[in-house]
Amino acid sequence: MAEPVLELRGIEKRFPGVLALRGIDFEVRPHEILGLVGENGAGKSTLMKILVGLERPDAGEITLHGRPVVLDGPESAIRHGIGMVFQDGCMIRNLSVLDNLFLCHEDPFERFGFLSPRRMAERARAQLEVVGLRGLDPRAQMGDLSAAQRQMVEVARLLWLSELYRVENPTLILDEPTTVLQEGEVRILFSLLSELKKRASIIFISHRLEEVVQHSDRVYVLKDGEHVATMERTSPQAPVAEVPRVARLMVGHELSAEHYRESMQSEPGGEVVLRVRGLKKEGAFKDFSLDLHAGEIVGLVGLLGSGKEEVCRCLMGAVRPEGGSIEVRGRPVRFMTPKDAIAVGVGCVPIDRRNDGLATSLDVSDNINLLVLRRLLAGPFLDPRRERENADRWVRECLIKTPSLRALCGNLSGGNQQKVVIAKWLAAQVRVLILDHPTRGIDVGAKDEIYARIRTLAASGMSLLIMCDTLEEDIGLSNRLVVMKDGVVVREIPCAARQKPAPVEVVSYVV
Amino acid sequence: MKRSRLVQPLTISMALLVGLVLIFTLGNPGFLSQYNVTTILNAVTILLSVGLGQVCVILTGGIDLSVGSIISLVSVVLMMTVGRIGPAAYPLVLLIGLLSGLLNGLIVSKLKIPSFIATLGTQGLLVSFAYLLSAGPLTAPEGSYGVLDFVNGHFGPIQATWIISLAMLALYFVMQRFTPLGRGIIYIGANERMSYLAGLDIDRARILAFTFTGLGAAVAGIVLSATLYSGYPTMGLPYVLNSIAVVVVGGTAMTGGAGGVVNTLVGALIMGVIQNGLTVIGVDVYGQQVFLGILVIIAVALTFDRAKVAIIK
Repeated sequence: MAEPVLELRGIEKRFPGVLALRGIDFEVRPHEILGLVGENGAGKSTLMKILVGLERPDAGEITLHGRPVVLDGPESAIRHGIGMVFQDGCMIRNLSVLDNLFLCHEDPFERFGFLSPRRMAERARAQLEVVGLRGLDPRAQMGDLSAAQRQMVEVARLLWLSELYRVENPTLILDEPTTVLQEGEVRILFSLLSELKKRASIIFISHRLEEVVQHSDRVYVLKDGEHVATMERTSPQAPVAEVPRVARLMVGHELSAEHYRESMQSEPGGEVVLRVRGLKKEGAFKDFSLDLHAGEIVGLVGLLGSGKEEVCRCLMGAVRPEGGSIEVRGRPVRFMTPKDAIAVGVGCVPIDRRNDGLATSLDVSDNINLLVLRRLLAGPFLDPRRERENADRWVRECLIKTPSLRALCGNLSGGNQQKVVIAKWLAAQVRVLILDHPTRGIDVGAKDEIYARIRTLAASGMSLLIMCDTLEEDIGLSNRLVVMKDGVVVREIPCAARQKPAPVEVVSYVV
Repeated sequence: MKRSRLVQPLTISMALLVGLVLIFTLGNPGFLSQYNVTTILNAVTILLSVGLGQVCVILTGGIDLSVGSIISLVSVVLMMTVGRIGPAAYPLVLLIGLLSGLLNGLIVSKLKIPSFIATLGTQGLLVSFAYLLSAGPLTAPEGSYGVLDFVNGHFGPIQATWIISLAMLALYFVMQRFTPLGRGIIYIGANERMSYLAGLDIDRARILAFTFTGLGAAVAGIVLSATLYSGYPTMGLPYVLNSIAVVVVGGTAMTGGAGGVVNTLVGALIMGVIQNGLTVIGVDVYGQQVFLGILVIIAVALTFDRAKVAIIK
């Protein structure tokens, strides 16, 4: 067994009121992909922040190649060859790829106090090639790149920095790299990672356990700030462990064995709640028609650029379509703003929770009551008791775990934040709910609760239009799939319980 | 961690207030005399009125730089009209404040101009109006002292200015805490995009915020010019910085969405105590400005929610 590149022993980290990490032993071996899994709040981020010097441990020691080190800031982590690609990226979007690559470390290109653009561009091209971005113009603006490309530029930067500081076998941390990627891009990412493994060690964090067990050499499981298990690949081809076993270790109890709560799937009613005909938006989609029945879950499937996102934006009133008609329960409607959509009972749980779904600096109660303030009036004024009652009711109903109604939403875990957003719409008693990636960035335990919630909503007659993180999720949850490609609906696929189509079958229409 | 930064400022502010009172009393035992306390509270009424106005816009994440000009315009118009129309001058100048605020609100929300620039423009506009009406200082005309003393008077031990303060507190508190429209101000400050997607009328909330800012400035202008029996086009000038100081020293975040009326009351008390106290212990006006400037920077450093601003400019 090769000596570990990086070793942590007895790491403790305490925040006011919580012991975030206790007695953590963690090692990274040379040339491996180490999967790191745990529920939201299990301590993954804290552990990684310690590795990149953003947090200092209260106890324990860190050794690099057998020598003890102190990581007291991102600068020192970089010098020791530890770098992280953050979930949301941390590149400057209005600078070029080249600027971002060498940002703050331009000195090797300096001659007599001036930077040589030619040598920088050459180096940038070479560096981009390493991460599979051959042909990308280093002068392109960072903001114009796809999420996948931006990630790779960050990886290229980290590799370059490790060369600059002459670090053998640097450690790259990738925090949920796949959530922002399309399925094809995910495959590319993993093939690239197995290539990069030859010169670096990679710590890979993801909530998608299938990916983790498939692509990691070892899997390290954290639960409530403690290390509960490490699993190792036994044969080169086999996954590290069974997904249910990893999930059980993470959550601490058995999860419902069936996927997506399929046995709870209900048959939709006959009434057409949302009728869309010939909707179009130049450059995005055209001739989109849909009948969404009471109690029906329709999964909208397609690649990025298939037009499905724009369809949803039109249906929630955030974007104005250029043609076509929308009827809600038989009445023609026209949505100029989201307000108009909400007025007839159409709501949307957006993909970007923090920016579009929540006010993180406000408390749980304010977030839940936002849409229904007018119903909480006593005379002309808001009634604090009714506000409290309404918020309390939905906190209970949606199983939101919060210390109090007055807790700030920014302090809740991702899963509970998502439940607050859903609760907000349920409180408004919408009839049609669009769920844009409802389980993104949410751990397995909370995911299961949200699946159950989606089922009960459908059973109670609400109509749901969903777009999910994975095709399996779409298939599993929906009564019917609507497949879009290049802006048009190419196929509808029924998805009755226990008669679900195979993903391969659906994929053939998607691509 | 974030929570502590957003909620603690009120505790910090309260501690600061108590500490300041102690220091000034030690420096000059006359600080807590009945006469001086009355003086402080009169000054607090002006700071509070303009601060309550300013906090409405700051809660939305914006800023109103025109409050000083509104005060100036109000003071000039009040002195020009009070001799002729008597008590009717009060509603007239309140209307001027409301309309100025409405104008700001319309410019910011309909033309989609950042409030910083929009109110920088209107403050020039409004102060020019004041200059056009009267280039020099105006004093209260003979015979109007009775009307103005409505503000300077007292009912037994209770000063009229205290009643004005309480009325303003009540009005702004109820508006922000207990009306859906006022709640909208906080929602858009906390997350404007989310509020829009949730069907909130963003423009209406923003216009309301600016209108209430104009009203607060107008009340401050009335109290200021009535207590001094005069008005002039630069009268309100110091109140741009003062109003922002009142808001931030009270712990309301410049980034919006956190803070409010109670914070502003504490902020106004602190500012009133500092300005009076520094005078009482013998610091001159220029020395006071140094102190004030440092205080504002510290207060913003403590309350600014950096997570909400992509690039610190």
